Formats: sequence, structure tokens, C-alpha cells
Amino acid sequence: MSEDLNLIEIIFGNNRHEIPGTLNLCLDHILEGAGGNPVDEATLSRVKWVIIELLTNAVKHSGERETVLKIRIDAAGIVLIKEDYGRPLVLVGQDSDKKIIWPLEKIVRPVDFPIYHNGMDSLCVRTDEAGRAIFFIEQLAEMEMPALLSDTSEHFGLLIMTKASDEFSYEFEAATGLNRFVCTFKLTSR
Amino acid sequence: MILEVQEINRVVQATILPEEASLTNADAFKEEMITIIASGVKLVIVSFENVNYIDSSFLGSLVVALKYAMPRNVDIYLVSLKPDVKNLLTLIRMDKVFRIFNNYDEAMGTLH
Repeated sequence: MSEDLNLIEIIFGNNRHEIPGTLNLCLDHILEGAGGNPVDEATLSRVKWVIIELLTNAVKHSGERETVLKIRIDAAGIVLIKEDYGRPLVLVGQDSDKKIIWPLEKIVRPVDFPIYHNGMDSLCVRTDEAGRAIFFIEQLAEMEMPALLSDTSEHFGLLIMTKASDEFSYEFEAATGLNRFVCTFKLTSR
Repeated sequence: MILEVQEINRVVQATILPEEASLTNADAFKEEMITIIASGVKLVIVSFENVNYIDSSFLGSLVVALKYAMPRNVDIYLVSLKPDVKNLLTLIRMDKVFRIFNNYDEAMGTLH
């Protein structure tokens, strides 16, 4: 682990049993780093949910032995950055008619499609000119049970990270093979 | 074992024992729930009284269990969620999918 004034860097061993300890380490540093600008309980909960999902994602999908979790705190907000050199992200569309894998071919960019939904929240992805994926939610019409359950995905990781943070994105550095997920929390927005 | 189970008149009270409902125990939870549902009960009341945090893997198992239960006319209720856990379920709208009660007694009250 290394630190400067605003940046905390934690090495996570991509082991599911390390998640609780790493989570507590992150939260302790966030509370400490916030100093005179304390993080409210609701924001801290959102940060906690996202850290859990970033670490769980690393265990399940990276295929690598290590992930670096960086936490930047300043008066404007908290930024969580997860970096590894494992498998690049693969996204399959809601109706399985679209699939994208990084690095994106130029002909594929930009993309914009729904990944999955749970009744009323549709998790969507849009890529920018640089190939960065930005996740967002589109609200769908209200549904009632049991149709709601049929329409509910069993995958929640990306959805939680998108809904809990103010901005959630993914980028891939083709030259180095680096995967980077970035979650931003604005401290004054909610 | 993830669940502590007590059955009275085909109603099962199933208390999640670990403090972390996570990737570590999500598969075991799903298997135990499916075994309970397949045993001919009419309602499974899952207590989260010990659970301090829940992740996407465990939530996925919960949804799989409900998808298995509904065609078999078995309900699943959730009770005793700590605020942080309940707030996460509300964020992803699982409060619309599951019936959530403050405790066992409140959940049992719906049966009379």
C-alpha cells in the first residue's frame, strides 16, 4: 500500500476471503482521508457497495493474481479506480444480438445499447471516441410481479456500481493491456 | 451450512448465519434454498438479522431462488434487514420483487 496526500493505493490479492478485510481498510482510509470534510453515512454506504462490487468483479473476472485499487479523495468527491492486467471486459446486449470486447475495433465505435434490465432499470453502455465505456441507467415503465421477476436479471454487479456512483466507466489501454474501472462520487451532489 | 432452519406448518423460518452474504456463500445459500423450496413448503421467511453486508452474487442467488419458488407456488419473504442491506435492495429495486418485513412476527401476520 502506498499513499500521498490524496491518493491511497491498495493491492488486492483477488482472493474472495480478502474482501472483508480490504473493504475495511478502504473505508478506514476514506474516513481518515476525508479529514475536515466528513463523508455522510449515505455516501459512505454507496462507496462501500461499490468497493465490494469492484473487489468481487476482480475475483470473478480478472483471471489475474493482483488488482490495484486506488482511492482519491478531495473536497469535490471520492474516486475509486480499479486496475488490472487481466481479461478485458466483454459486454453482451440484453437480447444477445450485440457483443463487444475490448480493445474495440474502430468500426465498432461508438456503441450504445442495453446490457440487462431488472424490470424498471435498464443498464446501458455507451462508448466515447476513445473507446471508454460509460454506464448509465434508463428508466423503463413500472412493472408488477410476477412479470417483474421474469424480467429481472440475476446479474447485479454493474448495475450496483452504476446506480450507487455518480459516474461509472471502463477503459482499456491497448498498448499495456491495462483494464481500468473508475467510479466517481460527488460529495456535494446528493 | 448457511441457513438455520425451523419449519412449522409448511412455513420455514430460515436465518442466514454469516455476517457477510457474499460470493463466498452465495452458491451454498442457493442450494439450501432450493432444497427447502423443493421439500413442499408454502412460504420461506429469510431472516437477514445477522447480515452486515450483501453483494451482487448473493443477490443473484436470492433471485434464482425466487424464480425457482414462484412456479411451485412458494413465496419468499425477507425480514430483519439492517438499514444498509435494505437500502441496497431498494437502490436496485429488489424491494419491488421481494416482500420485505421488519421481523418474523410481521411476516407471519400476513398469513392470518
